[in-house]
Parts: sequence; structure tokens; C-alpha cells
Amino acid sequence: MSNVLRPYLAAVRSTLTAALTLENFSSQVVERHNKPEVETGGSKEVLLNPLIISRNENERVLIESSINSIRLSIKIKQADEIERILCHKFTRFMMQRAENFIVLRRKPVPGYDISFLITNTHSETMLKHKIVDFIIQFMEEVDREISEMKLSLNARARIVAETYLAAIAT
Amino acid sequence: MSQLAPIICDNGTGYSKIGFAGNSDPSFVFPTAIATRGSPTQSSRAPAVPSKPGHLASKRGVEDLDFFIGDEALANARTPGYGVHYPIRHGMIDNWDHMERYWEQVIFKYLRAEPEDHYFLLTEPPLNPPENREQTAEIFFESFNIKGLYIAVQAVLALAASWTSPRVMDRTLTGTVIDSGDGVTHVIPCAEGYVIGSAIKHIPIAGRDITQFVLNLLRERGETTATPPEDQLKIASKVKENYSYVCQDIVKEFRKYDAEPYKYFERFEGEHSVTGRQYSIDVGYERFLAPEIFFNPEIYSSDFLTPLPDIVDDVIQQSPIDVRRGLYKNIVLSGGSTMFQHFGNRLKRDLKQLVDRRLDASVLASGSTSKSSGVEVDVISHKRQRYAVWFGGSLLADLPEFYTSCHTKAQYDEIGPSICRRYQIFGSATQ
Amino acid sequence: MILLEAHNVIIKTTLADKLNKPSTLEVSFVDYDGVRFRLSTPERKTLLLLSMHIRCWDELVKYGALDVLRREYGSLLRDQAEAGFNVSMEIDLEQVPAGAEDREAFINSIALFKRNALAAPFEQGFKNQKELEAANAGQGELMQIHYRDEEAIYIQAADDRVTVIFSTVFRDETDRILGKVFLQEFVDARRLPALQNAPQVLYSNRDPPLEIRHLNLPKSEDIGYVTFVLFPRHFSNSSVTATTISHVQLFRDYLHYHIKCSKAYMHSRMRHRAAEFQKVLNRAKQENTSTEKKTVSGRTMVAR
Repeated sequence: MSNVLRPYLAAVRSTLTAALTLENFSSQVVERHNKPEVETGGSKEVLLNPLIISRNENERVLIESSINSIRLSIKIKQADEIERILCHKFTRFMMQRAENFIVLRRKPVPGYDISFLITNTHSETMLKHKIVDFIIQFMEEVDREISEMKLSLNARARIVAETYLAAIAT
Repeated sequence: MSQLAPIICDNGTGYSKIGFAGNSDPSFVFPTAIATRGSPTQSSRAPAVPSKPGHLASKRGVEDLDFFIGDEALANARTPGYGVHYPIRHGMIDNWDHMERYWEQVIFKYLRAEPEDHYFLLTEPPLNPPENREQTAEIFFESFNIKGLYIAVQAVLALAASWTSPRVMDRTLTGTVIDSGDGVTHVIPCAEGYVIGSAIKHIPIAGRDITQFVLNLLRERGETTATPPEDQLKIASKVKENYSYVCQDIVKEFRKYDAEPYKYFERFEGEHSVTGRQYSIDVGYERFLAPEIFFNPEIYSSDFLTPLPDIVDDVIQQSPIDVRRGLYKNIVLSGGSTMFQHFGNRLKRDLKQLVDRRLDASVLASGSTSKSSGVEVDVISHKRQRYAVWFGGSLLADLPEFYTSCHTKAQYDEIGPSICRRYQIFGSATQ
Repeated sequence: MILLEAHNVIIKTTLADKLNKPSTLEVSFVDYDGVRFRLSTPERKTLLLLSMHIRCWDELVKYGALDVLRREYGSLLRDQAEAGFNVSMEIDLEQVPAGAEDREAFINSIALFKRNALAAPFEQGFKNQKELEAANAGQGELMQIHYRDEEAIYIQAADDRVTVIFSTVFRDETDRILGKVFLQEFVDARRLPALQNAPQVLYSNRDPPLEIRHLNLPKSEDIGYVTFVLFPRHFSNSSVTATTISHVQLFRDYLHYHIKCSKAYMHSRMRHRAAEFQKVLNRAKQENTSTEKKTVSGRTMVAR
């Protein structure tokens, strides 16, 4: 992990840990319903102030918390159109399998690339600090994976082009 | 310009059948095997990606293009550095990485088709989880950009294939499919194009067991002394394919053979695969005993004892009552192990006996004087039985309705892989 | 498999198969760039009829495709093509050369049917270059081959070179971006010392190169133009010419094949990565310590 990245991730980690104080809370609007308040937004008094942690204009994390759920959205670095398309492909691939990644949201919040929704059920049935670990590791590796995919794409393209031209250049 | 023919791809556990719609036979039939770099013992999970991604990972080139499929894969099985994998297990895709590359080479090396210009018809086993369909759609639409995709259930295609039989009057998609390949035999009831999942039954007797049984019989009689040991299994399968038939009465058949052995015993001539030495063996009772294991499994196995007609009857009795008549009336055979002569006739006779006996018993039990009009039992055999599933696909994809039933690239881009959860039948006259 | 093969596998395997065991046959299949084939036995089992339909057949005939095919296949070529197709040839299985090697060569040459038809404009271009060089005159005729609905090959000879231009259209956004990466590498690859002799490759997006600017082609972001500059050394003798033609005419398919392969590769990377993340998340799941307690008779114990 580079030194510039560390404070950013540390900030996300501590904010997230602090925000993960969730409790079981029944809906005040509909009887016998229990919904993630951050998603429904039905009662303003149980929502907390959303918070943005930003590394630069291209990379930021939005944490919206409420009494029984928090929503964390990530904007992943995209330097050029190749990274943009790779990032899009990768996040869509993950979200397609959201079923397996219990805390992953099927759609990102507008303006972000990928979103997670953690409810009180999740924080009760799973180890809280491990969920935080998962999200931090995801943020850490997603950048690396995308830049690696880009490099391997370039390497591939080079080999492909060279092989083709070598076949003609006799 | 007229549209290019859709591509039909039937990937089975053992063999893949691949070709273009409108043809009567697949263009390629080869093993669903892929030989990749790296030992087969290595875990099947993406060896293409290094576990510790580092600088070297990006320098890696195109190792993932270094592989062979089908017959070439088996030919390269012994080449050092290559390992053979079978990406499909029990009819379902097990290793998506290998399968994706398998398709890649099927399209670009064998079919030489630009996938963007073609519609594809793929097959799936009954009870395939919808997630598998979504993943398939993801591969075909995102990697290959195909024009349109239709995923059909194998049993339904086998029913469609039977429409070519002159005995089939109406093109119905209701019927019982008996699909017997190399590994396992399935009995699958279908009602108007939809599989009745709860009633499906499997029989652990199929082509491989018949071959083994033939070999056992040959050994017991001592025919194998003249043959090279490494070729024995091959001989047994040749005998099975070329000389076997289903008899109507086993005892009578034995008597016939004993009375006139010279008339019924056949002679099989073979050549040693290495030395080229000639040999020949007698082929006797195994001619009719081999397929008999479907009807009297006790002669081969001690674990599984239910004859095929009983299983078929069970399956139909477990289906909803309003389709049972249709299921009895249209029993369709598919797969290489149903190719024995008179197989259909024997199955029909045995099943008819079972049904009639039950009807008589219920008449007797109710004590009423009114008599049932009887249940029509019919087993359809046809010429395209061996690759029935592929042929059914070829037939359906040749219909103009095919294009409107497909999921198109535009729909996929709009909605996503979940469109493939919807499954639309077409082509049937009784729709 | 990195390079694509020039021959058609179905023709090859079917012919080899039918030589061993003739039987009636009727099969249609395709090749790259929307070429349709039909192989049938209309009269007798040993007489195969192979027909081909190419979208740009009229253009190819104009540039001498029939001469090339006649040179390659001689009397096999039928005067009248089968209905619905552009060109047909008859293969009499009884008159196929007997020797194993000759037979192999014969089958191979048949399997190159499409390649040979499409080779005509290239050969014409090379011939023009020789003439122009002798006459020391400027530029030859610009040949256009509209081999796909939206894409075309342009070939033009000059006194010292033959220019081949492919127009490429990417319908898919991802393909367009990946395609750009690949094409850029084609342009850069020539810097490698080992590839100094390779044809020069130029790539331009949107604006057509000078040679075809006068054609008033539609301009759009999705269209790119790839120019191959072939020098006389690339067609100095017949075997070099043959490899050059085989490879250059499959350029588009090669490019698209590799775009698709890299997407497949990325899929397998993503599958791997997703599995890794899954493992990390699974660590967060608590082990289910409170297992159900049951009595001997199978009833569940419930906490009060």
C-alpha cells in the first residue's frame, strides 16, 4: 500500500467502524415493517448526516448512516476510458453476484461506482470488524486489479500485434 | 442479404454437438474436453491468474490462448505440460473459465463464424439453476457480442426432433423423453414445453454399462483369449454398436440360438491396434443380452433392479393427472444408447402390459361394470435419435419464430443477464 | 491459438471423411465475413458440389477472382453456380489423387476456397505495382471491396508500394475501446528491431486517410481506418505473397478474435478476484456454534 493511500483508507476504516453502531429498529411509518431506514428515508429523525471522505476529485467514499443501516458508496479511480470500461465491467460483474456478497447492493448510488448496504442483521450475524476489513480490502485491491487488467491488456495487445506482423515480415 | 444460419451448440458431459441450424447433422461432434497448460491436479480455479499479483503478472502474455479442445485436447493429453479438463459435470457447467475458452475456440477455430453476425441456440439440462443461465448469457453477450441467444432444455429439443417421424401427427411438446447417453439415463416428462421437474428420474445404467456388460459376457465365454487386452473395451463397444438388438422374449431367443447357432452367431474381425495382427471372435448371446439390461437390470447389477418400463410408468404416474395421457402417448427416445433395434417396440409392449394390468385391477376393485376405454401407449423411434437434442435445436432454430423468441443483444444491454430467466417455447402446433 | 488459420475446417474434415466413406450429404455452413457455403451430393455419392456465397462477389469478379479460382481449381469450377450462390465447384471423389500427400494437398487447396476468392484484389494490386514501377508512373486504380455491411477493404497500388486500408466499425462501446488499444499496438509494434521489415501500419480514427478521402465516407466516432503499407518485399515471391495475403485478408477477424479473447481473459480474472473477495467476506461470518440439540427420539430442545 502506498503511503498516500494509507491515511485515506485509515479515515474510511475509522469512520465506518464508528458508523457501525446499528440497532434493531421497526419502521415508524408502516406497522410491523422493519426496513433499512437509509434506503427508505421515511423518517428523517433516524437518519444521520451523510459524510464524504475524498482522496481527490476522482476517488471518494460516501457513508450514509441511519439508526439501523448504513450505506457506503465508492467512487473508483478512472484515469482514462480504458480504466472506465474496466471498472464498469468489474463492478457490474460483482454486482451480478451480489447474492453471494451479502452486504453488496445490486445497484450503485448515483454518482458512485459501487455501493454496500450493511443492516443491523448483518452486524449482528457477522463479525463487525471483519466486515470493515472486507470493505477496506476491497477498496485496496480494486484499484490494483483494474490497473493490472489494463497492463495485461496492453501486454496482450502488444503480443498480438507483434505476432501478426512477424508472420508477414519475412 | 439473407440471415446467416443460427449456431446450435449442445454441450454434453461427454460430447459436444456443434453445427448450424437447418442441417440434419452437427458439423462437429467431439469430446467436451479442454487441454490447458498446467497439471490437471492443480485446482480448477483460474490458474491463468497468479495468486500473488505482482509486476510479473502484467508481463505475462497470452498463456490463456495456449490450449486445445475436443479431439485435439485428448491427442495432447500426454504432451508434457498439458492437462485435460472436462468443464461439464453431470450435464452442468462446472468450470466457467474453461468453458468460456472452450466456446471461444469452437466459434473461432472450428465454426469460423463471427459471433456478432449469428444467433445462438444453447442447451441446458433439466433443473439447471437460473444462475447458470445468467452466467452463460453474460459470457455470450459480453465476451462474444452475439446477436441473440436462446437457451433450450435438452428434453424439449428431443421432443421437437421427434416431429420428423412419420408417425407423429401433431407437433406437440408434451411427452416423456428417455435420454440415454454414455453416463446416465434420464426419464423426463414434459408438458407443453415445460419440464415437470418433480417427476424426473435417473437410471444409473447407460452406454458405458452396456459395453462393460458385453465385455463381461465375452470374457466369461473365453472369447477374449484371442484378443489383445488393451483393445477389449473397444471391441466390446463395437460389438454393442454393430450387432446388438432387443429381443421380444429372452427364453425363446436362447432356444433359437441353440437350435441354429450358425445362423445367429456372428463373427467379429478385428486388427490389433499396435501390431496389426488379425483376430476374430464369435458374437453370440450378447447380441440380445446387452440391451436387455434396461429391461432386466438384475442380469448386470445387483444395486439397481427396477426395469426401464417400470421407471417410465412411475414417472408418468407422478406427473399431474391431466397430462398423463399425453405422456403415455408420446414417449420419445434420444441418445446413442436408445439406438438398439426394436428397443422402442419392446418398451411399448412392456409398458402397455403394465398400464393394462393396472386398468384391469382398478376395474376389478371398483366392481363396476363400466370399462375404461384404455390408455394409448406409444414409443416414437426416429432416424435422428443419436443426436436428437442437437437435431431438435436445428429444427427449431430454422423456424421463423426462432428470431422473435430469442433474447437479443439490445434486450441484454437494456435489462441485463436476468432476461434469460424467462423462457419462451415456440414452434409447437398446440401452443 | 494466436493466429487464425486460413482454411475452412468443415470443408477439410468433411472432405477427408467423405473420401474414406462416400455418402449422401447436404450441409450448409459459414466462414468469416458472412461467407456462406453449401456442400451437397446432388447426383451421386461420389460427386460433391461445393457452392460459396460472398457478399462482395461482383466486386471480386471485377478484380479477377474468377481467374484466380480457375488457376487454383481448373476444371473443378462449374460454369453455372448453384442457385442462391455465387460460385460452385464439383469434386469427383473418384478422381482425387491417390497418394496420401497429394490427397492432403488437394483437400487443403479446396479448404482455401474462400481465401483464394478473396485473394484476387490483392494479387491484382501486386501486379499493378509491378507495372507502375516499370512505367514509373503514379498511382493505380483504387479497388473497393465491401466485404461486410458497414466495413470495406480498399486496395491501391503505387509505384513503390501497395496500400491496403480497412475501415472498421465497432458496434459495442467496450469493443471500440479495446480495439483502440490493440490498434495502437499495431502501429507501435514496428518500432521493434525484429519487425523492421513488417508492413507499416497506420491508424486513424474518424478521418479517412488521404487515399480514400475523396469517397466521402460517412464520418463517425465509431469508424476507424487501418492502413497497411505493403512494400515489394512482402510480395517478392509466390510463397511470401501467399502468406501476406492470407494474413492481411483475415486482419479484421484476427482483431475481433483477440478482442473477444481478452474479454474472456478478463472474465476469468474477475471470477478469480470475486472468489478471493468472497473468501475475505466469509471470514466475517460467525461460526454457527449453537447447534441444534436433539433428544434421542429426534425432538428438538428449545430454550425456555
